[in-house]
Amino acid sequence: MIDKHLSTIDRRRLVKPSAYGGLVIILFLLPLFIKSPYWLHIFIITFVFIIATVSLRTIVISGQFPLAHAAFMGIGAYASAVISKELGWSPWLTMLLGGLVATGIGVLIGYPFARLRALYYAMVSLFFGVGILQVFSVFQKWTGGYSGLMGIPRLLPAATSKLPYYYFFLGLTTICLLALYRFEFCRIGMALKAIAQSHQVASSVGINEARHRVLSLAVGCFFVGLAGAAYAHYNLTLSYTSFDMLATLWLFMYALIGGIGSFAGPIVGTAVLFIIPELFRGLKEFLPYLSAAILFIVVFAMPQGLVGLPQLVRLWFTELRKRVTHAS
Amino acid sequence: MLLEISGLTKYFGGLAAVSQLDFHVNKGGISGLIGPNGAGKTTVFNLITGVFPPTTGRVTFDGIDVTGKKPHVIAELGIGRTFQLNPLFADFTVLENVSASFHLRPKSSWLDAYFNTATYRRNEAYILEQSLEILQLVGLDKVKYELAKNLPHGYQKMLGIARALATKPKLLLLDEPIAGMNPDEIAFTLKNIRKTQQQGVTFLIVEHNMQILDLCDRVVVINFGQKITEGLPQEVRKNKEVIKAYFGG
Repeated sequence: MIDKHLSTIDRRRLVKPSAYGGLVIILFLLPLFIKSPYWLHIFIITFVFIIATVSLRTIVISGQFPLAHAAFMGIGAYASAVISKELGWSPWLTMLLGGLVATGIGVLIGYPFARLRALYYAMVSLFFGVGILQVFSVFQKWTGGYSGLMGIPRLLPAATSKLPYYYFFLGLTTICLLALYRFEFCRIGMALKAIAQSHQVASSVGINEARHRVLSLAVGCFFVGLAGAAYAHYNLTLSYTSFDMLATLWLFMYALIGGIGSFAGPIVGTAVLFIIPELFRGLKEFLPYLSAAILFIVVFAMPQGLVGLPQLVRLWFTELRKRVTHAS
Repeated sequence: MLLEISGLTKYFGGLAAVSQLDFHVNKGGISGLIGPNGAGKTTVFNLITGVFPPTTGRVTFDGIDVTGKKPHVIAELGIGRTFQLNPLFADFTVLENVSASFHLRPKSSWLDAYFNTATYRRNEAYILEQSLEILQLVGLDKVKYELAKNLPHGYQKMLGIARALATKPKLLLLDEPIAGMNPDEIAFTLKNIRKTQQQGVTFLIVEHNMQILDLCDRVVVINFGQKITEGLPQEVRKNKEVIKAYFGG
C-alpha cells in the first residue's frame, strides 16, 4: 500500500547501502594484497579516525559544533588505558568503560551546552576541550603527564603482527558506523536535523530540543570515546597533545572535505586525507596547505563535498555530450 | 472556554510589549487578534506558546495552567502554531516537513525508533498516510518532493499550517497567515482555514491585514500591547479607536 519510494526519512541519495557492503568486502580482502605492516598501520589509524569523524557528524547534524570532540576521544583513551593499567582489568571491558565515561561527561556538559548556539557553543566547547587536556597533563601519577602514558595493556596480547588488529578495527568501524547510520536515519535523526534547521519550529511541534541535543552529544561522545580507547590499546602509548584543539579541527576538515551533508562524506574525507599523503610521501609536510587547497576547491566546485564528485562528473559528461551532439 | 488569558504582561527591559491583556478563545471558532504593526501580537503568541515566560499574568489552556511551560510541553498539550518568518524546515522536502512534525501523535520511543520495531514501523506508515492526507487538504500534494526552501511564499505559509496540523492541535495559532500573499493565495488560504475549522480545530489568528475579519467570529484588537476593544467583526470595524489606531487621527 505504501510506495517504497515514499519513505519520508531516508535521504540516502548519494551512496547506496550496497556500496558500503562492497567496500567492507574489499577492505576484508585487502590484506591479501597489502602485506606491509606500515600500510596496515595506516589503515588501522584511518579506521579509528573514520569513527571519530562520523561520530562528530552525528553531533553536527543537530546543529551543534563541538570543538572538543578530539578531547572526548582522549577521555575514552585515557579512561580505558588508566583503568586497565592500574586495576588490571581486561582492555575489552575498559574499552566499553572508556566509551561510557566519555558519554557520561558528554551528558553532564550537554544540558548546560543545550542553551548555547553557534559561536557561543563553539567557544565554550573549545575551552572545555582545553580544560580536559589540562586535566590529562596535571594528573601525572596516572596519565604520565607531559611525557605521555606508557605501558598500556595490549588489546590482543597473542597477536604477532598487525593483521589481527587490522581485522579488529575493520570490524569495530563497521559496527560503529552501522550503529550511527541507524541513529541518523530514523525518527531521532530526523528530529535532530529539524532542530538544526529551526529550533523554534522544532519545539513548536513538540520536539524536546534539550533532550535531543544531549542525546546526540551522548551518542557521538560514546563512539569517539570507544574509538579512542581501542586506539590506546593498539598504540600502547598516549600523549595528550594528540587530542588537542587542532585534532578536532582536523576532524572537521575531514568531514568538510568529504561532504558534511551526507553520511558517507566524513568517511570519504578521512580516507582521502589519510591515504593520499602516504602515496606521495613528499607531500606529508605540506598536508595542511594541501588540505586547505582541497577545501577551497570543494567549497567552490563541489557543494556536496568529495562524495558528490561522481554525480558532478556525470552531470559534466551529459552536458558535454549534449554539446557534441549539438555541434555535429 | 479553550484558552483564557488574564493580566498578561511582558516587559522587555523597560518597555511593556504586552500589558494587562485579558481575553479568551471559545472552542470551535475562529478568533482574530489584530492590531497595527508593532502592537505586540506576536509577543502574545510567544507568551502563549512558551517561547518566553510572561512578566506577570496567566495563560490557561483547556483548564490547565500553562504559564511559563516549555514550548514542546505546550505543543504536547495541544497548541500548534505557525511562524511569521522562517515558518518551516528549509532543507527538508515538503513531505519531510509534515512527517517530522508528527513527533507527538503517534509518539515513538527512542528505542522503538532505533531498533525499527513493529510499533515504530506501524507508526511511520500511519504518519506517511496522514502526512499525505494533510498535504492533500492544504493543496500541496503536487509539490511534496520539493525542498521547502524552493517553494513560493504562499506555499511556504500553507506548509507552515500543514506542519502545525500534524501536531493534531486543539488550538492552532496562526501568525500572519496571509501577510505578503497575492489575492489568489489569500482566497486559497482563507478557504483552507475554514475547511480545517470545520474539522474541529479552533483557530486564533494574528493579522494586521483587516481582510482576515471576514473569517473571524470574534476579534480582539490590541495596540501598544493593550486591548483597545473586542467583539464581533462588524462591530470592531466601526469602532472609532480601531480606525484611529489603523489610520491615525
